[in-house]
Amino acid sequence: MALNANIRYRQIVLLLAAGCVFLGPRLAHAADEEGKLDAVAHTADGVYLDFAPFGAVELPRIFLRSDPWGLDVFPSTRSALLSERYVMEHKEDGHAEILHGEALRDAIDHHEHLYAKPKPAQGTLVLDLSITRHLVFGVLAALIVVAIFLGLARRYRRPEDRVAAPRGIFQNMFEALVIFVRDEIAKPCVGPRYREFLPFLLTAFMFILCANLMGLAPYLGAATSNVAVTFTLAAFTFVAGQRKGTKAYWTHLFWPPGVPLPVKFILAPIELVSLIAKHFALALRLFANMMSGSLLILSLIGIIFTINVLFGSLAAALVAPVGVAFTLFITFIKIAVAFIHAFVFTLLSAIFFGMALEEDEHHEEETSAEEQPALAG
Amino acid sequence: MDIIVAQSLLEPNAGLIFYKVIVFALLLFVLGKYAWKPIVNALSEREETIDASLRKAEQALEEARQTGAKNEEARREAEENARRVLQDARTAAERVRAEELEKTRARIRQMQEQAQAEIEREKERALEELRDEVAGLAIRTAEQILEETLDADRHRKMVDRFIEQLPRN
Repeated sequence: MALNANIRYRQIVLLLAAGCVFLGPRLAHAADEEGKLDAVAHTADGVYLDFAPFGAVELPRIFLRSDPWGLDVFPSTRSALLSERYVMEHKEDGHAEILHGEALRDAIDHHEHLYAKPKPAQGTLVLDLSITRHLVFGVLAALIVVAIFLGLARRYRRPEDRVAAPRGIFQNMFEALVIFVRDEIAKPCVGPRYREFLPFLLTAFMFILCANLMGLAPYLGAATSNVAVTFTLAAFTFVAGQRKGTKAYWTHLFWPPGVPLPVKFILAPIELVSLIAKHFALALRLFANMMSGSLLILSLIGIIFTINVLFGSLAAALVAPVGVAFTLFITFIKIAVAFIHAFVFTLLSAIFFGMALEEDEHHEEETSAEEQPALAG
Repeated sequence: MDIIVAQSLLEPNAGLIFYKVIVFALLLFVLGKYAWKPIVNALSEREETIDASLRKAEQALEEARQTGAKNEEARREAEENARRVLQDARTAAERVRAEELEKTRARIRQMQEQAQAEIEREKERALEELRDEVAGLAIRTAEQILEETLDADRHRKMVDRFIEQLPRN
């Protein structure tokens, strides 16, 4: 017993130490030169990859502008601004001024340009097509998923392998995920036509899971903690579901059976709004959960810096282990959350698909039954 | 500036949406064609094979069970038969033995009786002979002794009386 307790105690200490190492880069990068911590800036999307303490890599900027139309490509924000074809504004005391020359260089040295919104010196900006941090993470997640599952697919090339028992950690682990999505999500929620939606559900699940887990890795972030990414995913769910909507489903949506005629005109918009709201909520749920985890971790680390400013470095040093322990705890929770929200998104998508596929057998009887009093009235 | 950055958390970036649509559509296509199709097909194929194998095994087990039951039945029947045959044989042997014994006994008894009768007859004849012999002997002896005193008739009467007095056996 004593030995066991000792081992457990050592494990905790080791985990804490590992947590410190793991969080090291974040700690360093979360605090800028003035000892301030900007959790939001590090959770939000950005046009640079942060490899603190080794510095940051700026990502290419691509702008689509009109008057005159053109696509401007720069290797970095810095070069876009220094070329003077794009300018940044510096807001102070309510009025904005465009930075030039020495002031611009000064702002760039203070990394202000990374948070600025460059505007074209001539014409108007139509679309900012810059490569962002979350896009890089999203593409990386997609590539990881592709690499894993194309690798898995290779295991089934030979006919004798197709019926053999799965071998090794790799095949067992990812096959288990595929079977989980098929048997626990697609089959019960979509119904007999689940095979049509299985590729979408599998892709969504694996991509979201991979992106979520990437949010736990140092220097990386979760692409799913970006609202644009989750909206895109939800939009795909929306299109995939509505594309296969049955006649009964559309009738139910725009001409709900079993209600008097005037009520139909009230119900149809409500149904439409509810349909859109469901997908909107799908996007927001994933985004908010992923983002809040990241914000929470940075805020917990931020407590140390806040206490450093308010009560001095001794208090901060005392609080630091508590902050790190809490962060470690939240990190463990985030592992669970990564799986849970990949599951929830896929499950709800499957439920929406199941709704779109509904076949209403009693539809005809109900229509005639409710038509009768309407005619009598 | 903090407020601007905070806004950026909730503000969907149109450029990112544009790229994301392309990336996700590509991901759906590539995985759907090169990963999910072979994987899902292989999984269902394997499941069907396993199901079929299980069903086949169950059938074979059922058959084996039936065959076993049949064998058991046959064995029991054969055993029963053997036991009956043995029983019959034993009973028959017992009967034969008893009969034989009875027969032997009867024969022995018969032989005994015959011997007894023979003995009886022999004894009778011997007695008869002895009587005649004794009578003759007595007469001759008596004749020699009483040649002068007795005539033949008196002589005979005396001898007969003597013989009468002899025991029958």
